Order: sequence, then C-alpha cells, then structure tokens
Amino acid sequence: MDYTQLNSPQREEMCAAIGVDTVDALFDAIPNEIRCKEELDLMPALSELELQRALTEMASHNHGAHDMPCFMGCGAYDHFYPVMIDQLISRGEFLTSYTPYQAEASQGSLQAFFEFQTQISRLTGLDIANASLYDGATAVAEAALLATNTTRRKEILVASTMHPEYIAVLKTALSDLDITITMLEATDGRIAPETVEAAMSDSVAGVIVQSPNIWGQIEDWDGCFAEAHRVPKTAAIAVFNPIACGLLKTPGECGADIAAGEGQPLGNALNLGGPYLGLLAAKDSYARKMPGRLVGMTTDEEGRRVFCLTLQTREQHIRGAKATSNVCTNQGLMALRASMFMTTLGSEGVAEMAKQCWHKAHYLASAMDKLDGWELKYDGAYFNEFTVVCPCDVTEVVEFCKSRGVLSGVAASGRRMQGLSSGNELIIAVTEKRTKHEMDVLVDLFGEVSP
Amino acid sequence: MTTIEANKKQSRGDKPVEPLIFEKHVDGAIGVDLPPLDVPETEVPAQLTGGCSTLPSFGQHDVMAHYTHLSDRNFSVDGNFYPLGSCTMKHNPRINEWGASLPGFSCLHPLQDDDTIQGALRLLYETRTMLEEIAGLHEVSLQPAAGAHGEFTALKVIRAYFADHGQPDRTVVLAADTAHGTNPASCTMCGASVETVRTVDGQTELTHLKDVIASVGADRIAAFMITNPSTAGLFDANIKEIATIVHEAGAKLYLDGANMNALLGRVRPGDFGVDAMHYNTHKTFSTPHGGGGPGSGPIAVTEELAPYLPVPQVMMADDGSFYLDRDREKTIGKVRSFIGQFGVLVRCWAYISACGPIGLRNVSETAVLNANYLAARLCEKYSMPFFDPKNGKFCAHEFVTVPQELLDRGVTLIDIAKRMIDYGVHPPTMHWPMHDCLMVEPTETESKQALDSFVDVMLQIAEEISSEIELVQQSPLESDIARADEVAAARKPILTFK
Repeated sequence: MDYTQLNSPQREEMCAAIGVDTVDALFDAIPNEIRCKEELDLMPALSELELQRALTEMASHNHGAHDMPCFMGCGAYDHFYPVMIDQLISRGEFLTSYTPYQAEASQGSLQAFFEFQTQISRLTGLDIANASLYDGATAVAEAALLATNTTRRKEILVASTMHPEYIAVLKTALSDLDITITMLEATDGRIAPETVEAAMSDSVAGVIVQSPNIWGQIEDWDGCFAEAHRVPKTAAIAVFNPIACGLLKTPGECGADIAAGEGQPLGNALNLGGPYLGLLAAKDSYARKMPGRLVGMTTDEEGRRVFCLTLQTREQHIRGAKATSNVCTNQGLMALRASMFMTTLGSEGVAEMAKQCWHKAHYLASAMDKLDGWELKYDGAYFNEFTVVCPCDVTEVVEFCKSRGVLSGVAASGRRMQGLSSGNELIIAVTEKRTKHEMDVLVDLFGEVSP
Repeated sequence: MTTIEANKKQSRGDKPVEPLIFEKHVDGAIGVDLPPLDVPETEVPAQLTGGCSTLPSFGQHDVMAHYTHLSDRNFSVDGNFYPLGSCTMKHNPRINEWGASLPGFSCLHPLQDDDTIQGALRLLYETRTMLEEIAGLHEVSLQPAAGAHGEFTALKVIRAYFADHGQPDRTVVLAADTAHGTNPASCTMCGASVETVRTVDGQTELTHLKDVIASVGADRIAAFMITNPSTAGLFDANIKEIATIVHEAGAKLYLDGANMNALLGRVRPGDFGVDAMHYNTHKTFSTPHGGGGPGSGPIAVTEELAPYLPVPQVMMADDGSFYLDRDREKTIGKVRSFIGQFGVLVRCWAYISACGPIGLRNVSETAVLNANYLAARLCEKYSMPFFDPKNGKFCAHEFVTVPQELLDRGVTLIDIAKRMIDYGVHPPTMHWPMHDCLMVEPTETESKQALDSFVDVMLQIAEEISSEIELVQQSPLESDIARADEVAAARKPILTFK
C-alpha cells in the first residue's frame, strides 16, 4: 500500500480543476528521453501483514542484547531505561512533528529541548548545551571545529586513547580544511599531562581527551586541561560518558571549556549503532559559534514565558557558506528520549546507575584478574569498562563465549576497531543491567577457554 | 474589550504554561527504581568523585503528565495539515515504527560480529540496492546521518576522486541561488568555495552557468549542486543540457535529493546525468521527522565515484551471506561512528517495501497531482509566479506563492502564517526560496477532503484580510501562546534554566 487516499473519480475531478486530461500532463516538463521506460526493478508491494512477517523474520536472524548478556561497550552501552520512554516517544505529536521553527505550533518540542539543554549543561558542569548533533563522533568533530573557529588556529591535539572511530571521523571532517591533527601518545593507557605540555604551542586551537577512554581508563582531565590552558584561549575539550557524570568529576569540574559525547546511554536503545545523539556543551563564550540548533527562553506578546529556536543567524539556512556548521537537523527524538530518561531518574537515579556500573565492573575485573593467565592491561582507575589481556587468541574467546550465548566484549584487534591493537586485548563493559550471575558465568567461560 | 481581545482571553486566558521540570522537582522523589546492587562495593577514590547532583526528578505519574502536556502543545502530521514546502511531511505509517522497535533490531550492539546480525545486514543490503535502483546509480552508501551530512559525504567523495585523478585544484562548487542553505555550508565543511548560479523562473539560467564556469575556470570546478525539481517546485526542463555543460567542464553533477518525492518511479537521477546525490529518508521515504530528527541521508554515486565511498559498506558474499566491508583502499574514511542510522533505515525499508514499484510511481504522481490541485484552486487569491496551467506551466510536488495583493492590504507573510495556526494548519515554508513567498507541499498522503479544507482555510484568511484584517494581524488568537519574541531571544540568549 502506498498510503495515498484518492480514488479515480477524485483524481479526475482534480485534473479537471487543474485543466488537464490526465495526471501525466503535469509531468510534461520532463523530457521524454530521461523518463523511466519501465517499472523500477523492486520487489512487488507487501501488505502490512506481509511486512510484519518479513520484519519479524529478518529480526529473528539477529542475536544481541535481547537474547544474550551483553558486555560490549566502546561507545554504545546496554543500559536500562524505563518502558515509559518508548510509550511517550510514540506519541504522534512528538514523533511526526517537524523542526520547531514555528514557535506557536511547537511549544512542546521547544520546551523539551530547552529542558534537555539545561540537563546536559548541568550534567557536564558547563554553561550551555545545544539541542544535540548526529552522534558522539560527529559531536567531537564539531567540537574541534568550534575550537578552530573561535581561535582561528589550525592545530588540534588529540588523545590517541580516544575511540578510534571518533579519531577516524575527526580525520575525515578536518581533512580538507588545512587543520593539523597531532596525536598525543599514551603512557600506560592514559595521556600524561607532560605529553600535553610538550605538544602545546600558540598554534593549538584545542586539546581533545576522552575519559573514560577507549581502554576504559579514567584520564587525568585536570592535569591535561591545565596544560592546555597555559596557552590562552586554547579550548580544553572533554569527550565524556554521560552516565559517568553521575559519579565522577564532570568535564566542567575538571576545567573543560567544551564537552562532547555520545548520548546513547541516556535512554536510547543500541539500535545497531543509530540513531543515537551527539552531545555538545560549552562555556557561555562559545554560544554564538555553537553548531546545531539552540532553543532559547523568551516571552510572547502577552508576557508568557515561551521558547523558540534562537541564534539562527549562526545556521546554514540563514548564513549559507558562512554558517558555523552545515548541521541542519538535530536528533530531536533521541534528545527527547535522553531528556525523559534524565527526568525519570533524576540525579539520584543517574548516580545510582553510575555507582552500580562502577561496582559491577570492579567486581568482574577482580574476578577475572584472579584467573590464571588473564590480567588487566592497565593499572589505572576505570569506571564501567576495562581491558583484559587474554592468554589465548582473543577471537577464540569471543567466538567461544558467543557459542555459549554471551557477548563477551569488544576485541581491540581488527578492522572494526580501526586497528587499535594487534594483541589479544578484550574490552569489557559492565552496566547496571548485568547481574552477578551473568558475570560469574562469563568468568567461568573464560576459565574454560583458557589454555 | 474588542472582540479580538476577548477571543484571545477566552482561548488562552491566564492558562499557566507548563512548568519546567526544574520547577517540578521534589526532593527524594524518583520516577523509576533500580534493583539493589548484587555485588560487593568497591570504594571510589575521593580524587575521582564529583558529578552532577542537580538533575531534577519527581514521581512517575507526574513525569507522564509532563510529557503528555508538552505533546499537547505540538502540531504534528498526525493531527494537522502540515504543508511544509521542501520537507515532505507525509504520513508516517506505524508498521515502520513497530518494525524498528523489534528487539531483534533495536537491541543489537553496533560492534557485534557479522554472523550474529545477518537479518539486519540483509535489511541494510536490500535498502542499499533499492535505493540504487530508485536513483539509477551504481552504488549507495547508507552511512550519512542526515541530508546535509550526505551532501558533505558526497562532496568529500567527489574531492577524493579528483585528488586521485590528478586534479586536486577542483575546489570550487557551483550552487543555484535557490539552493538549500546546507549546500554552500556543506561546501565550506569540505574546504570548497561556492559560486552561485542564477535561476530564472525557478530554472537554472544556462548562459549564466556557462559564464560562471568560464570565469572560474572549468578545471577548477568540482561539481554543480542542483535541486530537481528545483526549490521553486519546478522540473528543470533543461536538465540534460545542464548535465552536458557540467560534464564538458570535467565536473560532476550533484543532485540535492530533497525533492525526490516528485521523481519516484518516473525519472531516475542517474538517467539525467547525475553523478552523485543524497536522499532524505525522512522526507521521501516517510521516516518520521521527530521534532527535528533523526534523519538519514544515504548517498548514491556513479561507478567511477564508488571506490571513494565511506566505510563500512554492507555487502553480499558469494554464499549469499552479508558482511560489512571495512577495507576500501580509496575510501574517504568514516563520516560517523558505527554503521549508520540503522533504526531509521528499517523504517525506510518498510516504506519502500510497502509501496513497491507501482506504489512508488503512484506516490510521485499523487504528490504532483495534489500540489497542482491546490495551486489551481488557490492561484486566484494567492498569486503564483510560476504556475500558469492555461499555458502548460505546472508545478511539481510543491508550489510557491507570493501573495502580493494580500500583503499590499497591510498584512505580512508572518501574519498569514500565524493565522493558519488558528485554523489548525501548520504554516508552509516561508521567505524561501524567494522573499515574501510561501512554499506549499501537501504530499501524496493527504485526502481530497483535507486538501479542500486547506483551500477553505486559505480563502477564509484572504477574505478576513478584506473584511476584518485585525484578525489576521493579531493572530494567532486560538493557539496557547501569542507570538514569541524571537528578536529578544537572540539579543540576549537564555539557553538554560538558571
């Protein structure tokens, strides 16, 4: 079914009103030679019942966090979220509305995005946040551009411990813009402030450090950002995990000027990688250069507090080539989910979730550390994710656990992680959803697969 | 008290606006609970602890109420006529939502091994091949997250192609003066400069195109970005000639696919000389706009550009299984994390599969019919610069009106738009692509009754401008807020609640 609603008499009546005999006449401007001579080569239409069957069938060929305990992380986490979010987000008034350009017809979305911006600014400890970007990786790229645009400098220092996909996306984004990316090499899985110090110069626009980093290690944001700030105006850019902000020092508390991150952990399903949402927060001084949509509080003509999109002169539809970014959409529905999640849990709930992640990850790590031949790759502090070195081929470990119905983690080797390692590291994430029993099973499986 | 003020008072009264979540906070109240911790605790070192403690919370019922109240304050495709030009606000079938929410799709981790996600990869592969067929182009990448992201990605591909073919100096991109704002902005993001090509009567001015190419220098031009049907809602009758001119300059023709709804099944961009294009699945293929996203912006390219597409790419192996190819020697690299807007693409697959080839053709046919019908019924009161059916000048899937006669009576375009809100109609796109214009796109999913009701509303507003102009000037009268002061909002931005 193509969801059109006109019957033949109506079509004829409408053609008559236009003054044409057939609908075809309306396409006269299209030269004959380029028109399709044949039907598109696509499968014939499916009825809704057939669609239900086909989708169910395809979904049944997938296995994931719904039928296996999932210890995979690296930028996407299997967190709990309340069912209420799915129910609320299904309301057509949210689902089928457009970007809220018409404030008088969109106060619902606008207020929700304003609340989202405030929640993200509080979560990160920074002054402002936008209404979201595509995902974590593109948020990092936009943060880098924010730094180069505000400083007019051409170099970005990037922690080599950042998610390799974020590094890859950053490289793509900056590659034609005459901006140099200088990688900061790690010491024991983290970036030493001295490494930042050594790389700093007047040409550095921003310093990007992710914490927890790709290995799960908590970076010394305070130390690194203090070094960054030795050169005035250099932007300290924290790439953060929003759940960690419930327990650990926030980007703002550590001196960050800009914070960018993946918002998926806040009430969004894994969705095989998307749609997610990029989070971007910053100090006030960046407001007029921020990419993406911003909602502001104002009043209406009768004095009511209302909300509207604002600072649109930054944006592409006004500024064209001089816009701060080409970003047009935000991830509105995902941002709404994130906001609902934060509202439902509040600080207390997010903190509790963060604590459970911490305690469970540490429980599992210490159990694993006791296994013969298995060891934690790094000694530093970690939050919800850590790296173990397997005593055997890591792919064997992953395959074995999979065959026993467990997604054991992300192997650091291989193209999927952009060649992060050639060794046998397994990066394991533990959310509040993982039970003691599931963790004990995983340890047993590791014991079994050990040589 | 005048009638109008009484109206406003009656509809809005002193009705309080919905309080913010920050004003509803109740200490200790929480909307959902977590199970007790089932492992021993491990101390968190003091130097690491901190964190946010200022997120508000309150009880579950009030959370439900808050968001229900907010949803009541939104226009939507579900509840309103939403003729937003260039945005293709068509019906969003719920089977698509249902499919995307199946646990076998929504609970997949993006770094899982290919052998655990064969159903998802098959869906992606089929979506890829369907979009290739609809475009008439060699290969589609599903990576870009939105239309503008697709533009950026495709321009990177084109630049990489030229760099690889010893022509790195092709750094100028041409765009029509009526192009979407994202076009030039995407060029900037790719380090390309933009030269504008004039349009006349909504069509590319061929002589100006040639002049611009000559003045810039053919060997410096990477691409011409065109929207067809144009943003003025017209098929560009010269499209073949444009393609020839662009190709003779050695450049690539890029199609902004925002208006694909008018072409589905009738014309394939690859058949009129397009080298690269993006789709907006949230426009053409009915994935919901969600108050501003998520979108998805797959790109389609010719065979010669395909080696430069971003990674990963979904492939079918000889044995019929599916895999993600992450190794492309000449790829531009990654443009976003993971695999793409998967959940959006599930909806896209379901929509195309529901329509089938005959349905898709009927989509474009009906979209064009609906737009022309509205234009024909409204053109007497709302003048239309490009619509003249008696002389064979029709619109495509949308039309532009510049209601100068009405404006001359003392209303602004914004007055008209805000009055539409009173009648439950979402205002069309305004002031673009021309000054003082409304751009109306009804889409194919509107019934004749809905179209006729919209005509009634527009004629009623025209009548009010003659008989009771204050009604229009002071609108919206019925909505829950009066006009928002956007100037004040921008002058002194308040972006968070303090």
